[in-house]
Amino acid sequence: MDPAVGWLLLWGTLVGLDLITWPQAMIARPLVAGTVAGWILGDVASGAAVGVILELFALDLLPVGAARYPDYGVGAVGAAYAATGAPDTLSWGLATLLGLGMAYAGQTGIHLVRRRTAADVRDLAEALDAGDPNTIRGVHVRGIARDAARALGVTVLGLVLASAIRAGPLMTLQGTALLQMATLGAALGVGVLGAVRLAGRGPGRVWLGVGLVAGVTWVLLT
Amino acid sequence: MIRPLTQAWLRSFSVQGSFNYDRMVGLGLAYVMEPLVRDLPGEDARGVRYRRALARAAAFFNAHPYFVPLGAAALARAEREAVPEAQVERLKNALIASLGSIGDRLVWTGWLPACSAGGLLVSVAVSPLAGIAAFLIAYNVLHLLLRWWGLRAGWRDGVHVATALSGPVMRLALRVVGRAAPLAVGVAIPVAAEWLARGAPPAALPGVAVAGVSAVVLGRWLAPALGGVRIGLALVGTAFLVGLLWP
Repeated sequence: MDPAVGWLLLWGTLVGLDLITWPQAMIARPLVAGTVAGWILGDVASGAAVGVILELFALDLLPVGAARYPDYGVGAVGAAYAATGAPDTLSWGLATLLGLGMAYAGQTGIHLVRRRTAADVRDLAEALDAGDPNTIRGVHVRGIARDAARALGVTVLGLVLASAIRAGPLMTLQGTALLQMATLGAALGVGVLGAVRLAGRGPGRVWLGVGLVAGVTWVLLT
Repeated sequence: MIRPLTQAWLRSFSVQGSFNYDRMVGLGLAYVMEPLVRDLPGEDARGVRYRRALARAAAFFNAHPYFVPLGAAALARAEREAVPEAQVERLKNALIASLGSIGDRLVWTGWLPACSAGGLLVSVAVSPLAGIAAFLIAYNVLHLLLRWWGLRAGWRDGVHVATALSGPVMRLALRVVGRAAPLAVGVAIPVAAEWLARGAPPAALPGVAVAGVSAVVLGRWLAPALGGVRIGLALVGTAFLVGLLWP
């Protein structure tokens, strides 16, 4: 096995854990997860590219309350593995599709982990309601272990699928270009949706408008 | 008390480890609070007050994770001062509402998107590694400070912790990040778009625009509950299937 794959498995697990369970330092942001995965693979540019694309998708995400959220970080690790080593930027589309699928699988996994922890809580309700510190610690540690297993599982799945993408072209050049256009457009559209939702109504929208004008000016001047 | 406070601070990083749909972050709250109530004054040999304090904490609780240390310390202080049980419950319920709201506005919809946009800009303008370094350092300065400040404020103020949450610094911070986040994201989107599209042939740009407009129409009007990841899967997945069949 390529030693880099071992590091990616470790990185994917840490990134998946960081999303909710420990330590929430935001290494789970796709920009970070994808760029570091690219660095592990010796291709920072491709890792950063899929990281930026998935970061635009993640702008739509407001993880408030008990909301379910996609695991874009683990998705970025798989996407970076799929994108690196490819001859040109046309590989980003398929890599992003894999990243989105992994993010969704990670989200489903989070739901299952929470349900399993809830079952644990119900089974041990008597000891928890008596304030037993060992039971509290036990449920807590098992929850963390479950989430680590979830993150590792999604990373393994993603890297297996990414290996198939790296193995060779799945479609014609025209088909790949179409996929690339759809990927960039969808990322920008979802990013704009997230920005509008973030700004809300009132002064936030004015600040968003000012930012967009400043961003377009930056693009035109550089 | 520096050792128990440090233990509680370190434990707070895993506060959502036992998050579940029954008690939300209640068990995490108890896990963080435990070092602070381990030696309750006036405790008997069976540890009755200690266990009651943990049991109360381990029931339903929800808050922004970075603000749970504040809640844990305030509740621990109340338990140490033998505040009546009903008053502890009222404090806990009041904290659920306020810590969730303030944390979400300050961090999830404020500081995080602002730093994320800043990281995107540095990645594009300087280098990807500089971008993630800038993002992680900027974001985590506030993150680490918030956890420690909350712990100290809750421990200092106990049942009166609301004063710490409604201070002028917190109000100013909420106002500033509420403006900085949409401003920074607004700047970042066109800059990131130009960076990603660099080198693409002009003939591809209408296709990108069609996909972008489709995402907005889908997410804004046709299926607002779909969410970004499913919109992406729908559009990119459709393009993949069409691409596979492309002669």
